[in-house]
Amino acid sequence: MTFPSLLASAVAPPLFSPPTPHRRRPHRRERLGMKTLRLMTVGGTIAYRALFNWTTPGMFIGTLLVGPLFQLLFFAYLGRQLQVADDRFYIVGNAVLTASLACVFGGTMAVANERRYGTLGHVLLSPRSRTAIFWGRVIPYAGNGLLIAVVTLTAGALLLGLRIPVSALPGLLLAMAAGSLACGFFGLTLGALGLRFRDVWVVSNVAVALLLLLTGVNVPAAGLPGWMVTVGNALPITHAAEAARRLAAGDGLAAAAPALGQELLVGAGYAAAAVILLKIFEVESRRRASLDAL
Amino acid sequence: MGSEYAIEAEDLRRTYRARTGWLRPRRTEVEAVRGVSFTVGRGELFGLLGPNGAGKTTTIKLLNTLLIPTSGMARVCGHDVEKETREVRRRIGYVFGGDRGLYDRLSALDNLRYFAELYGVAPRDQKRRIAELLDLVGLAGREGERVEGYSRGMRQRLHIARGLLHAPDVLFLDEPSIGVDPVAARELRRTVADLASTGTTVLLTTHYMAEADELCDRIAVIADGQIQALGTPAELRRRADGRRVVEVEAYGVPESAVDAVRDLPGVRETAVEARGALQLLTVHSDAHVDVQSDVLRELAGIRLGRVDSREPTLEDAYVAIVSAS
Repeated sequence: MTFPSLLASAVAPPLFSPPTPHRRRPHRRERLGMKTLRLMTVGGTIAYRALFNWTTPGMFIGTLLVGPLFQLLFFAYLGRQLQVADDRFYIVGNAVLTASLACVFGGTMAVANERRYGTLGHVLLSPRSRTAIFWGRVIPYAGNGLLIAVVTLTAGALLLGLRIPVSALPGLLLAMAAGSLACGFFGLTLGALGLRFRDVWVVSNVAVALLLLLTGVNVPAAGLPGWMVTVGNALPITHAAEAARRLAAGDGLAAAAPALGQELLVGAGYAAAAVILLKIFEVESRRRASLDAL
Repeated sequence: MGSEYAIEAEDLRRTYRARTGWLRPRRTEVEAVRGVSFTVGRGELFGLLGPNGAGKTTTIKLLNTLLIPTSGMARVCGHDVEKETREVRRRIGYVFGGDRGLYDRLSALDNLRYFAELYGVAPRDQKRRIAELLDLVGLAGREGERVEGYSRGMRQRLHIARGLLHAPDVLFLDEPSIGVDPVAARELRRTVADLASTGTTVLLTTHYMAEADELCDRIAVIADGQIQALGTPAELRRRADGRRVVEVEAYGVPESAVDAVRDLPGVRETAVEARGALQLLTVHSDAHVDVQSDVLRELAGIRLGRVDSREPTLEDAYVAIVSAS
């Protein structure tokens, strides 16, 4: 293939398009929507494989499945010892919380690892929507978080003998999905700081510790000072854990719906915050040349 | 496309400001680009030459929207690089030399697939386009391997394939042949020349004079953040007209001997380049003055290798321009 034909081939429209009488050609807006959806799904999946550090089976199982399960067992036995709450409180709460590890660190990796590979500049040179590029990266992390939460809840329930009504399972899945998604956007918000600050991992480590303390997963909200409860209400997982506990207790989806709605609201807030921060820091990086520290 | 130029830069300036220390913060300012102005015609292959820290990469980053100018104006294909970033990004490709800038854990194919999404290559064209580019850069058959196992030359070729994914109107090549072996560098030059022949505008920065001489329609020599000379390779070469160059290979030349050579009548510039144990002393003199015997007299007692007297090359012109800045 010669160069002229090669260069022209990517931009030139096909000379002949066979008529397709049974299929309506999508409108411009629809095509744009399809392209954006593709960028979010295909692009997000490839970015996940490129940037997530724990994709190898050993790292995935060890870091994201075994470690959190022992954390769940630790708090469940501690709870039994101290008689603060029953097993359901710890098992369900910690299972929802386990999603946070993959989501918070994943969201951070989605931006910070671009610096590590020196690819951030090339990503920012894309003419495509930043919102689609980076929201798309959250989807695999949220899926990852959901998988981890389901595995941890199943293993925890089997090991400690917790019985969950079968009718509660769809609702539980929904609660864990909402928590994972909210947590993914929370991670992306932290990751956005990676456009401005090099040591963004410090923030992620602190955030994971804060989630452990402030989401009411291991310390009941009633036992926390008021300001901690307020901060906890603005964090992901808090409301998802509450909804999941209600569902596991057999209260039904209607009883869990308000908490579920609040979790989605928190997630939407972080999704918006991430986009705004990415926009601000991208402009800032061009102004301050902070990308030169790649 | 409205503008007659692919690239326009007008009094472009960029200052880096840095702050170090917490208790007693110290602010530093470096003026990397100081009033750079030039235009590049559509389809032109334009070279930007200069020593390390001259402002070449900063100029490219100002033009490709990665940096905002402190002052001045630049347009690519008629679009302002500061305000119309999306329009500019649609039309440019960026390739830089070195090992980084690729996803090591992914294969070459997945790297290209991802950037095809990011750079807006239509889904129906992606497969064919990627296959063509892999073939073009000689990575066909190796595209399934992880990039972490690639040699520097292979990475460089992948960089180029990525830069061409969306068939950009303007391609920025920032020292693309750095660290590449001579055979690969020759192939790279042929690729760049082919690109320019198809109408793609290329802005190339390089340290290699032969590369610039062979490829570029025009060259701007940049030093200290300012353009010191601009013209065709032939025009720049004439900057060294009226000169003669003496090269002496020596071992252990003391600074005092270099100073003595520098003070000889008729000598314009003297440079010493270390090449392992060997030092290459390059002496520029007026063409009508034969300084060779005087130079050898000043180096008496020092172990010498090859001694050569020759006409100036583009590299000598470049040294003369940069030394005068």
